[in-house]
Amino acid sequence: MSTLTVGEALIIAIWVALVESRILGYATLTLRFSPLMTGLVVGLVTGHVGEAMIITAAIQLIYMGVVAPGGTLPAEPAIAAAVAVSVAILGHLTPQQAVAIAVPVGLLGSYAYQFRFFLNTFATRLMDKYASEANDTGLFFSIIVIPAIISFVLFIPLIFIALYYGAPQIAHFVNAISGGKVLHILTVVGGGLAALGIAVIMHVIGKKSLLVFFFLAYFMSVSLATLKISTVTFAIFGAIFAGLYVLFTSKKAEQ
Amino acid sequence: MSENQTNTDVTKTPDYPEKITNKDLMKSWVRWWWANEAPHTFDRMLAPSFLFGMMPILRKLYKKDEDLKEAYKRHTLFFNTQAVWGGGTLTGITASLEESRAKAKAEGNEDEAVSEEMINSTKVGLMGALAGIGDAIDSGTVQYIFIAIALPWAAKGSAWGALFPFICFVLATFIYGYYFTKMGYSLGRNAARELLAGSRVKTIIDALSVMGLFMMGILAGSYVKVSSTLTFTLSKKTFDIQAILDSILPGLLPLVTVLAVYYYFEKKGLKITNGLLWLTGVLIVLAAIGIL
Repeated sequence: MSTLTVGEALIIAIWVALVESRILGYATLTLRFSPLMTGLVVGLVTGHVGEAMIITAAIQLIYMGVVAPGGTLPAEPAIAAAVAVSVAILGHLTPQQAVAIAVPVGLLGSYAYQFRFFLNTFATRLMDKYASEANDTGLFFSIIVIPAIISFVLFIPLIFIALYYGAPQIAHFVNAISGGKVLHILTVVGGGLAALGIAVIMHVIGKKSLLVFFFLAYFMSVSLATLKISTVTFAIFGAIFAGLYVLFTSKKAEQ
Repeated sequence: MSENQTNTDVTKTPDYPEKITNKDLMKSWVRWWWANEAPHTFDRMLAPSFLFGMMPILRKLYKKDEDLKEAYKRHTLFFNTQAVWGGGTLTGITASLEESRAKAKAEGNEDEAVSEEMINSTKVGLMGALAGIGDAIDSGTVQYIFIAIALPWAAKGSAWGALFPFICFVLATFIYGYYFTKMGYSLGRNAARELLAGSRVKTIIDALSVMGLFMMGILAGSYVKVSSTLTFTLSKKTFDIQAILDSILPGLLPLVTVLAVYYYFEKKGLKITNGLLWLTGVLIVLAAIGIL
């Protein structure tokens, strides 16, 4: 069983800290909600981009609907991907096995993210002081620099230890238990969990009368599967249907 | 005549607020965009980031030290919204309110100035409604339309599967967030009405909802894998359940799975972790007893 080098584990840990500290601005919204970019980073660091992307695509499906009203997520997809994709590459696991690792890791990650909110409270006290003095340098430190340091101190050691010491162990363990029946169960769970994220988005969009477009697309996709139509083409169909919907409903409103 | 004269005199004094330019609005939007969730806490939420965004504008408006300090402190109060629809628009609206307050104070019309309460209640009153739109559109729809387009590339092992949705989402939200900032500044408090009740925004939301639901249908059809492995033998003839299902309606089981989870959320509210645990549990049991 291979392991990550200290350097590889450290680079991935720093990437996760950059994302979870939110220090790259609003760009971190999609970096945190979606495992895709983190999976790509793991692929680049370990030199297995293709394999990493295939695994990350499977993980993305279970996190499709992740949105964070009020700022807290039920899981941290970026942390889940950092660990699960690394483990899967080290242990040559299937994407479904990787999904089974991602789910518990993502849940644990959400506690670390909420702990960050608590630690940031100390920076807020400083902000109050500097705001009442109109001290711009002090405010820059208390609003940007200190929260960044807090997150780096929290996330870098955590992710480094999980990757450097934990990942080979998890890979070994999953390989040991998943023969025959267990592998079948993991494959079923991995394939079915994709339904979760899609259902979440349907709920978030929240317009029952428009669900007809979901059914239209579903049966187009299933019955035209043999034609191998690309998603870009389907997206163009989607845009045309959206245009037609707006065209007809606004006409009706005018009459 | 005399009134005119005093006005021109006041605007030329060094204490008079400087003009807010598009460059200032861009600067504030970028600063808010950058700080956004970094200093997030449970007690003030994103107030530090909002202050960080407003700082350069407040400094141009309030030339007296005590006014500046008072303005800084005003924006340390609890504030939480979505970055683009809420944060962009409110940065613009607040800039316009602060500007009229600063001008009134500099002209000596303290009583007619926009009050601190007005500025705070505008922010607090609009932040939730705008965040609701923003979360549903940016995080919930726009982001996943880009991801749905790129997911098959990722599934084939291409790095573009990650890069395409990331670049598109960041660029799109940055651009229309700046547009909201400018609109907030030029329309003031009317900007919120434009966003919350305007027919143009409703049309955009409808179109995005159609597009979003359509792409979810495509994804569900391609990537949700649920099939039965159950076979049984009746009078020496073997029946394969999945083959029978496929001959009636291909893709029935994945659709049933998605709709079951959807109805769970409709009935119980959006409890994602519970939904995850239930779905995993049901799938494990069905797989273990040989139905799936």
